[in-house]
Parts: sequence; structure tokens; C-alpha cells
Amino acid sequence: MHFSKLLLSLILSIALFTQTSWAQIASTEALFNQQTDILSSKEKIIQFTARKDVAKILEQMDVDPQTIEERVAAMTDEEASKFAHEIDTLPAGSDALGSLVGAAVFIFVLLLITDILGLTKVFNFTRSVR
Amino acid sequence: MLVGCGPKVPLPPSGDHIKVPFVAPRSDLCAATSIEMLSSYWRLTTPYTPRLSREELDARTLIPVKGGTLQIELMATARANGLLAYTLTPTFDALLRELEKQHPVIVLLNRGYAWYPLWHYAPVTGYNKKDQTILMHFSDRPHEAMRIATFKRLWERSSNWGVVLLPPEHLPATATSKAFLRSAYDLERTGLRDEAIIAYRSALKRWPREIDILFALANSYYHANKFTLAEKYYRELLSIEPKHPLALNNLADLLCHRGRQNEAMATIRKAVSDNSKIQSIINATGKEIRKGCTPQGKK
Repeated sequence: MHFSKLLLSLILSIALFTQTSWAQIASTEALFNQQTDILSSKEKIIQFTARKDVAKILEQMDVDPQTIEERVAAMTDEEASKFAHEIDTLPAGSDALGSLVGAAVFIFVLLLITDILGLTKVFNFTRSVR
Repeated sequence: MLVGCGPKVPLPPSGDHIKVPFVAPRSDLCAATSIEMLSSYWRLTTPYTPRLSREELDARTLIPVKGGTLQIELMATARANGLLAYTLTPTFDALLRELEKQHPVIVLLNRGYAWYPLWHYAPVTGYNKKDQTILMHFSDRPHEAMRIATFKRLWERSSNWGVVLLPPEHLPATATSKAFLRSAYDLERTGLRDEAIIAYRSALKRWPREIDILFALANSYYHANKFTLAEKYYRELLSIEPKHPLALNNLADLLCHRGRQNEAMATIRKAVSDNSKIQSIINATGKEIRKGCTPQGKK
């Protein structure tokens, strides 16, 4: 796929460029994890794969392909890896009312009551009694 | 309002709130609007200028299939907008301390239950001690007051997740040096080196002898080809910790690249480490220096 190739070559060129220019420099990264201070090539490949996975997931989730590259680039290695591995369980903050359209009436009533009890805050118009 | 907002008042007085401009909700885009609200607040109160437009904020945060935004992308987009993103210690106390300093906090709430989650981001703008309420730009309601008991229930469903977004000149009220350095470094490695340098420098004002911050700042300057400044901060670090192997290594490398072979050699000879990876870097630098040092203007 055209986009993935583009991303691949971009990341590779950045990786190679930084490596050749700064062969002897100990990175700031070393402060955070003594084990990965100087990443082995295997670790580099894992992180690289995570970014490729993130791009693929975003594509499958209907994200505008033109924004995927910059979205992946804006993540740190840890963020990309967490994204790739936990996408199914991570919460996505949103506006509540859209998600309520499909809710059954009893859930609607239940949440209305729990809103009034101050246990939830699904509806913008409710005021808790407690 | 009876009381003004004097600098010595420990908490925003009753009914008062941080003057965060309100932005009306756009479908599924509460992360983008939350970032937008905080960005306009900082634009009004500091010299900060946002780097992204409203359209770019929207395009970078929404995942259509999820119908919302992940915390990861909220943080990443805030950084891309030129702000330092600092995740708070997950306590109510940390939230209040940031509000005291007039730092609005974006929190993640679950408006429903774990079995029927309705996740929502909202910028917290104040705290009313008398009424025991938290004020938030909540969906379509500016400075909506919510009972603290209710707020705590909704907030603990996200394990009390909250983040301050700050121009890099500003430090979170609750920052620790280690965690702040991490947030600043996250700016640097996602392409915002200038902002990261500003953040390291402001961190040094609070923690002037913090080795790790000096190291990160010196490295940043080195990567930005600001050799004189890089050397200055490596030396400052070494005046505090003369045997710091990574700083000795990097300083030696810098001196070599500036054509100062003798100084480079003398510096690398002092560097030694128990860590085999670090030692192998030191050895490589030594080898490089022995091959000869030619001055380089640009890398």
C-alpha cells in the first residue's frame, strides 16, 4: 500500500540518519531506562513494528489517510506501543448523547435515575439530589 | 462575587473559576474542544501561540470507529499544538493544587458505568469549597457545577486521569523533576525541540542542580548544533557530578567534533562505567577521537 511504503521509508531514513550522525552520543533516553539506553536493533524493530501497526489500525478505524502519518509521528515510542497493544480496551472520550441513541428504554430510565442519585452524569440536564 | 482573585488567596474563592474560554461541543470531539479551550486560555494569558488550527485539532484526534479520542492522542495532539502535556498524580489533591495555580485540568470521566461506559473529557475550571462543587466546561454547559461526591465517582472510573497542558515556560504546580523531564523530553522526541529546550530551562529554574535535566538540555543543544551552549551545560553538570560517564562521553564527542582533540582525549579518559552498553559507547568515542578530530560546522 502506497501510504505504508511512504511511512516505512520515512522512518527508516530518519533512523539511519540519526544513527550515522550521532554514533557516539549517549541519548537522553538513557535517563529513563537503563536497559534500553542504547536500543539494540531488535528493540528498534519492535518499536518500528508498533508504529506500523498503529498506522494500520488507524486506517481500519476510518481515520482520514492523509492525517495518519502525522498522527503516528506525534506519538512517543511508548505511546505507539501502548496504542498498538491495547487499542481494544483503551477508553475513547466522547460526547455521551450520540452513544445513547441505541440504548434500550430501560437503560435510559435507569441512567436517568442514577444521574439524579448522583451516581452517574449521563444527561446534561439532570441535577443530582445529593 | 464578593471576593476578587488576589494572588494570595489559596484556592479560587467561592464561585470563582479560571477564565477558560468556552467552546461549544462538536460531535464526538470533546478532546479537540478541550485542547482548544485550554489553548485559547493560554493564548489569552501568556505569549503562547497555538500551532494547529481547529480543523487540524479535529482531524488529529477523532477515531471514527471508536466515536471518540484516546488519551494517547489527546496528549500527542496537545504536544503538536506546542503545549507540554503533564499527567497528574491521580489524586483529588493534585487536581486542587493545579487549580489553585490557575492551571485548568482536562479530566477523563465515565458518565455511565463500567458495564455501560460513556467516556467524556472536560476541562475543570474551578472548585467551590462552600458549595462543595467542581466547575467544568461540561459538554454544552460552561462552568457547570457538579457535586464533588458525584465528580469523584465519575472520575475514579478513569482511575482519576487528568492532564495539565502548559506553555513550556510554565511548570505544573505538582510537578516532580523526573516526571516533568519526561514530559519535556516527549516534546523533544516528537519533533518539538525548541519547546523542549524552553521546558528544560524552566525546569532548571526550579531544580537548578538536577543532573538529568542538565544532561537533557545539553543533549538538546548539541542536537540543535548549538555547541557553545551544549558545552556550557555539560560542564555545569560535570561541576556537580565530575564522573558522570554519559556527560563525559558526550562532551568528549562534542570537543572532538569541534576539532579540540587534546581536550576531547583528556575528557574521554575520565569516563568509565559498569554498564557494558555505556562502556562500549565510551570505547567507541575514544576510538573515534584517536582517529583524529576535524572541526565540523554543521553535522
